Amino acid sequence: MIYNIYHETSFNYEGIVSFSHNLARLKPKSNKYQKLLDFSMKVTPHPYEIYDFYDIFHNNTSHMLIREPHEKFTVIGKSKVEILTSTIEEKIATCKTNSITYEAAIKRITLFSPSDLFAKLFLFDSELIPKSSQKIREYAMQSFHPKRDLFEATKEFMTRIYEDFEFVAGFSDVTTPIEKIFEAKQGVCQDFAQFAISALRTIGLPARYMSGYIETIPPKGKQKLFGTDASHAWFSLYIPSIGWVDFDPTNNLIPRDQHILLGYGRDYYDISPLKGVVFSSGESELEVKVDVSRED
Amino acid sequence: MGKAVNNMFNTYRSEASFDEMFDKDKKIRPHWQYLYDKLLEAGNETLKQKQAEIDWHLEDNGVTYNIYNTPKDSNNRPWSLDPIPFIVTEEDWSKVRCGLKQRAKLFNLIFKDIYGEQKLLKENIIPAEVIFGHKGYCLEVFDFGFKENYDLNFYAADLARGPNGNFWVINDRTQAPSGLGYAIENRLTMNVVSNELYPNIDTRKLFVFIQEFKNLINELCGSQMDKAVLLTPGPHNETYFEHAFLSSFLEINLVQGNDLLSKNGSLWLKSLSGLKKINTILRRLDDRYADPLELKNDSQLGTSGLIEAVRQDNLKMINPIGSAILENIGLNPFMNAIADYFLDEELILPQIATWWCGQKKELEYVFENMSSLIIKKIDRTEQIETYFCKKLDTQGIVELKEKVLQNPTQYIAQEEISFSTTPYYHNDHIEPRNAVIRAFVLKQEKEYSVMNGGLVRVSTSKDTFMVSSQRGGTSKDLWILGKKEELDRVVNYNHIPHVDICIQNIPTLQAENLYWLGRYLARSIITARFIRYTVKKLTNFYRFENPSSKEAQKVLENTLTHLTMTYPGFLEKDKEKALQLDQNPMLEINQLIKDKHKQGSLTFTISMLSNTSINVKNLLAMESWKVYDKLDKEWNAFIQKPSHTSRTTLSELDNLLIYLMSYKELVDESMFKEQGLLLFDIGFKIESSLLLISQIRSMLCLKLDKSATYDTLEAILNASESFNAYRASYKSSLLQENVIEFLLLNPQFPKSLTFLTNALLKEFKALPKSKTYLTTYEEPIFKAYTTLKLAKVSQILQLGEDGTIYKNLEGILSELTEYFIEATNELSKTYFSHYDE
Repeated sequence: MIYNIYHETSFNYEGIVSFSHNLARLKPKSNKYQKLLDFSMKVTPHPYEIYDFYDIFHNNTSHMLIREPHEKFTVIGKSKVEILTSTIEEKIATCKTNSITYEAAIKRITLFSPSDLFAKLFLFDSELIPKSSQKIREYAMQSFHPKRDLFEATKEFMTRIYEDFEFVAGFSDVTTPIEKIFEAKQGVCQDFAQFAISALRTIGLPARYMSGYIETIPPKGKQKLFGTDASHAWFSLYIPSIGWVDFDPTNNLIPRDQHILLGYGRDYYDISPLKGVVFSSGESELEVKVDVSRED
Repeated sequence: MGKAVNNMFNTYRSEASFDEMFDKDKKIRPHWQYLYDKLLEAGNETLKQKQAEIDWHLEDNGVTYNIYNTPKDSNNRPWSLDPIPFIVTEEDWSKVRCGLKQRAKLFNLIFKDIYGEQKLLKENIIPAEVIFGHKGYCLEVFDFGFKENYDLNFYAADLARGPNGNFWVINDRTQAPSGLGYAIENRLTMNVVSNELYPNIDTRKLFVFIQEFKNLINELCGSQMDKAVLLTPGPHNETYFEHAFLSSFLEINLVQGNDLLSKNGSLWLKSLSGLKKINTILRRLDDRYADPLELKNDSQLGTSGLIEAVRQDNLKMINPIGSAILENIGLNPFMNAIADYFLDEELILPQIATWWCGQKKELEYVFENMSSLIIKKIDRTEQIETYFCKKLDTQGIVELKEKVLQNPTQYIAQEEISFSTTPYYHNDHIEPRNAVIRAFVLKQEKEYSVMNGGLVRVSTSKDTFMVSSQRGGTSKDLWILGKKEELDRVVNYNHIPHVDICIQNIPTLQAENLYWLGRYLARSIITARFIRYTVKKLTNFYRFENPSSKEAQKVLENTLTHLTMTYPGFLEKDKEKALQLDQNPMLEINQLIKDKHKQGSLTFTISMLSNTSINVKNLLAMESWKVYDKLDKEWNAFIQKPSHTSRTTLSELDNLLIYLMSYKELVDESMFKEQGLLLFDIGFKIESSLLLISQIRSMLCLKLDKSATYDTLEAILNASESFNAYRASYKSSLLQENVIEFLLLNPQFPKSLTFLTNALLKEFKALPKSKTYLTTYEEPIFKAYTTLKLAKVSQILQLGEDGTIYKNLEGILSELTEYFIEATNELSKTYFSHYDE
């Protein structure tokens, strides 16, 4: 399965900006489950300098300096990604056979085991995802009985989020606190992912924030409009006997061949597609256009 | 010895298990004998006098420790110093020295490992939770430990003496340790009194350490000291005094985040002549604030791109980013294992027994023995959490246990230790107080070196063991007994931060602040004078039963609004409001004086002046700070009073003007032109010119009747304190054409626009980017000068068609305003922005 992805991000500034430093994370990862076949990035105005580096999670990052007066800053990333379906299916199959109980997982994570070591990076609160309140903990614990299979429990937890929460655009942004999302029981994919991550970390399980895209299929007989897709977010749970397993609470499914990963981190801030520090007094407005299309 | 003298020690009873001066049998420890004798010999009166001398010295040198979150007037807390030093024998200190060297070395190894191979985690020497769960772990520099020179260069430890007489480490500071400057200042101050109090005692000197600090910087910057800077959060920081002081004796530039910008993967210092590359930063801000792009996004203190410069090996730091992870009390329980792992040694300096709650057995022990323990969060990045369990009731203990159970890996428990007390002079007595030593350690090539001295902080009251500068309290000098080192050169200390005395190299922010200091000072003076004149006129209004005074009065009021740009003000279109203002103009004038939220009001302008004044404080002479402090205090007291008569307002304005004028004089004589006074002068002249144009425009463009004209002419001259000068030049009575010629065209009168414009053109030539041709900011001023030179009074004073307005005058003034505004924009673009260099 091969996808072409178009991801355009713009900042519209209130005034003229003549100097800005920016970090872009728009180049999808290559790993066991997907292969980046092609990537190009177009930046306007043209950057005075660009430096690429990998962050601790091996996400591709570009540092760009813009040094000419401009009112709009646009970065377009175009990528071609092949989803390696067979390795994904293999992985999902092992979830059914190799999973362990919640209790066993907690025990292993609490003790020292070299293979679990770096999963612990995703065990603590981060800037956008603090630990949850007692209420959320109780909500989560309904699915996580000590003797229960961890994979099954998480699947159920995902389904409960899907059923209990309503997808409402415009209610929240990345900084909306998890507690508020829980109270209102509404939000968008980022909120559901961050809510789940917070709950999982609070009950002692490492969870990470996955950022990427999802293929959308237009209603029958309708032509899909270019650029109307959105970027997508889901979460991944560390199951000690298996490794990282992805869950998409927005769509109530285990990602297979329709999810394309951009990168991951502890929360949105670790993998935000574009962030900048600008010398200007005015506000700025963010504009995003995404298109995901399957190559025939 | 009289009885009164003995009394000083009479009440000395230490409850601690160890007292520095007296042993268990109340016998004086031998190394204190000399000081004890000398203190008794001196007696209370002498000690009191010496204390006063110390206070005076510290205050006179402007030593302060700002405390956050206190009312504005009291946020500069004077530093205080006890006349009795804390003394330690060479024997004791040599053990401390070995212990600190070892600890610094260990921390460096931990630091490089955490941001490198992470063997300590992989081999379970340190639990991953103690690192990953600590907010000081900086993911952005995850692999920087592999870099050469990515070392813990500067380290400070807090030490206290335990019951067995050994020194214990109680805290580690690894990001940007404070206190060194205060320790040096304390020593300099003690030198003044100790020669008389304790003339025959040999103590180790501090200058060796200062030299070593310079060596360290020199090594990092490749012997190019002009490429090293001290990065401060700015004058509002609690220890800013120290930053200025350190920059002075280390001879490196003191800069703020805004002084720097990054490009080409390097950091550059913005200076008046352009960008200058730097390669070494001694920083006094915390990790998270150093780079808003990659770290804390809303930081106003750092520089975007700083991490990238380090990533590209173009920047070295004391200390490198990421060192916050070492300020981690969760490491304590594992320090012995780490020492064994890396060095095959045992820890030399003891630590307080510490249990990490992330282990099952340890947690059980902690919960069983809770009441005798102190619980602390391992991480003090966001919030310091310390719980003294013996002070908690049953409910408190239950809640604390719950808290720990939620995040056991984030907490440790420590034994509560009784630390030593030391004699402290207070209220005519000498009493025992707890004290903590801050010791300083530096990297010297491959080894570490420990300062033979330190900063001692004394607990705030007799019964507490809370020692913290944030909470106030007092300090002591630390004396290590031993032979004096030979001075191989004279070390000079002064309190002015190091800045290049050369206009080319002035940091841009400094230059910009001086420019605005000039502008705000001119604006304050001119506004205050004009208000004063208007109020005076108002008070005298009913003295003369002349209807034309009313018209002149109106002109004055309108000018006030134009001058301060506080529209609508007296130009109110609403009829009812206008009538109200007409009947009681003091309503509006009082706001113009006192309303600090009203942009353009006198108090608003003064608050802007205060801000810039704080930012350049360290360039100015001490007297000017003192004058400014008084101005600020008295003015704030005045505006807080709810009401007052015109007479008190006038006398307050007089008072303010006297302060403003003396401040201006003191600024003038504090600095060389090349140090930046030039920018101050330029700012002052530009603002004076703009306000002069505004006054002439509002007052002299209207054709008034003879009597009102006379009043207005008198007003414009008086309001700018120019009446006598006018009288000296024009022996005749007041004439419109003469006043215009005098204020606009007179080439000799220093307040005339022609004079100001000409002077500006000369001063521009001394700026570093001056060319043989006219630069973009010179051109408009040159045009202004030409316009003035070509103007003839007779032509200027031609009336327009309706006979009410001097149209040519109005036209010229509006043209001049534009020239000046263009010049200020171009000046800022050329010198203060740097974005296209």
